Amino acid sequence: MFDQFFYQDKGLFLQSLHPVAALSYAGVLMVLALLFTNPLYLLGLLLVIILAVAAVDGLAAWETYLKISLGMMLLVIIINPLVVHAGETIIWWGPRLPVFGRLTVSLEAICYGAAMSVRLLAIISIFCLYNLIVHPDKVLSLLARFASRSALVLSLATRMFPAMIRQMENIREVQVVRGVDFHAGTLKERLPKYAALMNILLLSSLEDSLEIAEAMQARAFGSGRRSCYRRDTWRPRDSLCLGGSLLALAVAVYGQAKGCSTFSFYPELDYLIKGPMTVIVLIIIILALSVPVVLSWGWQRCPYFKAKI
Amino acid sequence: MAFWRKMLFPFALVFILGLLLASIKINALLLGQGWGLLAPVIIIMALVLLYWGFEQGRVSSREVAVIAMLGTIAAVGRVPFAALPNIQPATFMVIISGFVFGPRAGFMAGSTAALVSNFFLGQGPWTPWQMFAWGLAGTSAGVMGIIFPRAGKKVMTVFSFLWGYLFGCIMNLWTWTGFVHPLNWQSFVATYAASFWFDTFHATGNAAFYLLFGPSFVKILQRFRRKLEVTLLPVIEGDKNAAL
Amino acid sequence: MPLFQSENLTYYYPDREKPALKGINLSIEEGEFLLITGGSGSGKSSLARALAGLIPDFYGGRFGGKVYFQGRDMGQMDRRKLAREVGIVFQDPEKQLVMTSVEAEIAFGLENLGLPQAEMSRRVAEVLSFLDLAEVRQEFTAHLSGGQKQKLALAAVLAMQPQVLILDEPTSQLDPVAAEEFFNLIKRLNEEMGLTIILIEQRLERCFHLADRVVLMEDGQVKYEGTPEQLARWAVAREIPFIPPVARFFARIGFPSIPVTVKEGRRLLRSNFNYRKFPPLRPVVNENPEEPVLTMSRVWFTYPNGKEALQDISLQIAAGELVAILGTNGAGKSTLLKTMAGLLKPGRGRVLVMGRDLSNESRPGAGRIAYLSQNPNDYLFQDTVEEELLFTLKNFGLTDDGVVDDLLEKLGLQRYRRVNPRDLSSGERQRVALASILVTRPRLLVLDEPTRGMDYRLKDELGAMLMDLSKEGVSVVLVTHDVEFAAAYATRVLLLFAGRIVADGPKHQVLGQSVFYSTQIGKMCRGYVDGVLTLRDALDRLEPVWPARQVVPEVR
Repeated sequence: MFDQFFYQDKGLFLQSLHPVAALSYAGVLMVLALLFTNPLYLLGLLLVIILAVAAVDGLAAWETYLKISLGMMLLVIIINPLVVHAGETIIWWGPRLPVFGRLTVSLEAICYGAAMSVRLLAIISIFCLYNLIVHPDKVLSLLARFASRSALVLSLATRMFPAMIRQMENIREVQVVRGVDFHAGTLKERLPKYAALMNILLLSSLEDSLEIAEAMQARAFGSGRRSCYRRDTWRPRDSLCLGGSLLALAVAVYGQAKGCSTFSFYPELDYLIKGPMTVIVLIIIILALSVPVVLSWGWQRCPYFKAKI
Repeated sequence: MAFWRKMLFPFALVFILGLLLASIKINALLLGQGWGLLAPVIIIMALVLLYWGFEQGRVSSREVAVIAMLGTIAAVGRVPFAALPNIQPATFMVIISGFVFGPRAGFMAGSTAALVSNFFLGQGPWTPWQMFAWGLAGTSAGVMGIIFPRAGKKVMTVFSFLWGYLFGCIMNLWTWTGFVHPLNWQSFVATYAASFWFDTFHATGNAAFYLLFGPSFVKILQRFRRKLEVTLLPVIEGDKNAAL
Repeated sequence: MPLFQSENLTYYYPDREKPALKGINLSIEEGEFLLITGGSGSGKSSLARALAGLIPDFYGGRFGGKVYFQGRDMGQMDRRKLAREVGIVFQDPEKQLVMTSVEAEIAFGLENLGLPQAEMSRRVAEVLSFLDLAEVRQEFTAHLSGGQKQKLALAAVLAMQPQVLILDEPTSQLDPVAAEEFFNLIKRLNEEMGLTIILIEQRLERCFHLADRVVLMEDGQVKYEGTPEQLARWAVAREIPFIPPVARFFARIGFPSIPVTVKEGRRLLRSNFNYRKFPPLRPVVNENPEEPVLTMSRVWFTYPNGKEALQDISLQIAAGELVAILGTNGAGKSTLLKTMAGLLKPGRGRVLVMGRDLSNESRPGAGRIAYLSQNPNDYLFQDTVEEELLFTLKNFGLTDDGVVDDLLEKLGLQRYRRVNPRDLSSGERQRVALASILVTRPRLLVLDEPTRGMDYRLKDELGAMLMDLSKEGVSVVLVTHDVEFAAAYATRVLLLFAGRIVADGPKHQVLGQSVFYSTQIGKMCRGYVDGVLTLRDALDRLEPVWPARQVVPEVR
């Protein structure tokens, strides 16, 4: 189970993006999710993200993420009304508690909690999208350009991970044959059995690490300045997606400065739509962010499109 | 110069932690809303700084391989083990790695464990925070190792125990800064309460691991650390003749 | 000017009293295919590392004498320059790959050399096509098969375009098919590309004939150097096992010319001797009326991913049988072994050991079954050898009734009793692992590829040990790729293919009928004398009928 990346290559359009374009797209989505407070904007963002997830056949994976989010969303919805006393429209007066003082639940705080749980879902969905479209390898190769040594540590660890999981399983089997029953005994008795596994794994891995180091040294590691091998290609699609992301970011910053995408919950709820600008800015942002989704749609259906981008 | 290079890490960490704490006090200045964005930015900045620190020093191929291995072992420690699903010795492994191999190696082992295990388990918004939390656990253990190289079982057990809660604190920061408003101590306590039992379990697990196996694991690592240094001597004349 | 020239090379590993290399004087010409052989601990790997500049650079220790590469002292050479000229591929592919994708792995060495992007792209592309790795170029390196991993390790070194390629037992972790393919590549590199090859190897059936010159090492010294034929003749006279069985056979019967391949051996047999039908060899059937130790009836095993690894396996193993299981990778050998050991529960069917069903027990076998995995390191974590044995005893609630002493004595570990098992050599580690599971006096011993990476001497020791156990009534089952080992020691051979048993019987019957799963001697004798597997068999059958007049064929 743990010898496969979470990422699965399906040869889809969004998976073929250059890592810079893909990471910028996810990054801009992330920044916007954290920037917006207007529920309409948050919902719009969530819509785009879900469309993108659907474009990489990821709705099944997204469901798992949705389940993880639900608990946290609930937490956010509960905590906000309980601890925030800034709202004016009080709908429930509760008892007095030692730490929090008099419990009051206000309409504003409930709305804030709801908006924030949408933000939470959006953020978690962005990571779901990220997992679906960015191969870990691509991130490592991008990182190698700036921090080659750290990237090397990371890629070595990534490469070793599946092997080590397997080794752990082998060690477990050997211990079973030597009479260790992992399911018997209290927690306190089982802990040393588990620690013995880690102990063997540690001893063997440390020995192995010297052999790996030797192989690296034999291939001239640490013999001077390194260069960096690049293998990602930049296509027109990457320019388009990057352009869309940057445009969305710029418009969002403008909207934020003008107050279109902000929304004040306290002390009283603001108007959702403050004027035509609110809607125009939102539409531009959604369109700009939909560029990859639209391209993906076209790429799947139109051979001409495929050849051009 | 060497002093500054050595102290860069503690200073950077104090600076960033200070910034984080200060932010809670003066959030009015930033309209209160901005922290959802600023907190991850600070964390990512901190990570960049710490990685930069790793890039600057001289690292031999042996060190790279060992650090990667320690990170991988800690990452494997995150994978639930069938017979003991709730016990995850990742934090324990990171702490002893830092304690023996120093702050830099400790940070790399910790942050690597978080990032690499998430390649397989799935990345999420928690990834940078986990990288930061485990990285910091390794770094602080490394600082402990430098300041109190003789820190015994008791001290380190308490240290591991506290890291269980500290880890929870750091992980809660992202829920708290991102989705709760206003940021005051009441709301933090409320957020923290939700994870309190989980963190207690984590802390107890860490302490138990260190109490029972810390010294023997540290001994293994220390014994190995000596193999990282390479000394070359010429063959003594007498020996050479004997060999022929 | 020779490519390599070593003068009085002496080396001690750090904290070691005994030198790994002493006073080595060796010269290696450009374009040569040099085979360096010798037992474990003979210093052959150390010599390879010294030629690659890793000794003393990487290891430290005490170093004396000089090694010259193209006339330059290697001690003074820039490391980067040296890495460009001399490449080395190690034993275990698992421990050489550092990157996540195939392409990045090949580029790793080039990046270290600081080559420009255009040059790297060209070299990566060339090597990918030459070694036929283009198909998997974006694959996660952890997902490749063992053979592909080793090919990738070779590709990564070749991309650096070295003049000399040093290979340190490159096939010891591979199955025979992958090993064969690997050697063919090496041969091509030597013949078509003119690369100088220095091959360190202790299993010589497949590579002896490839070499221009062979160096035999012992105790850190060069014992003999010469052409393969010269070495074969020299070694046979001294009972030194480091030559292929075919050569040993002809040398033993005192033949004037010594062939080193099956093809030459057959030619000699043909020209010396007419086909004769021999009566079948003594049938080795010891029908055991007792209750079998292990009974498997209609066992199926399916992995969670849907792979049916075992299909309808039924077999019985009697006390004192020594069974070898052969088969290709993925045939289900390891799965079968683990099912026997009770580590995997069959989906359908029953596994009985000493009449008791394994799947009903929380601790499978409860000490009646011992399982030796491929990696002895998986067993070792106590501070002393003795404690490893006591650990198992304690787990089964047994007391030491002298069994520890007994086993340590029998496995030659008595003097390591108080030594940390991690300080021992790999052969000794395996014996410790074996001791740690034999301590419960099991009735069934299963071993997963126990001869992997072993030299002739260690293999003989292991074989003798297993024979002793089976004489004591322990049933031994081992999975192996090593047909020579199976032929020498097993009593019965099972052939597994795609989860099914396709052949099962006494070894002379199964291996004697097989074309591929046969020994070198067996392949040589096919059609002349049937049912011959080992050197002993061949000598027994052929020596008496060897014509007195010895026709010396024209020398090739």
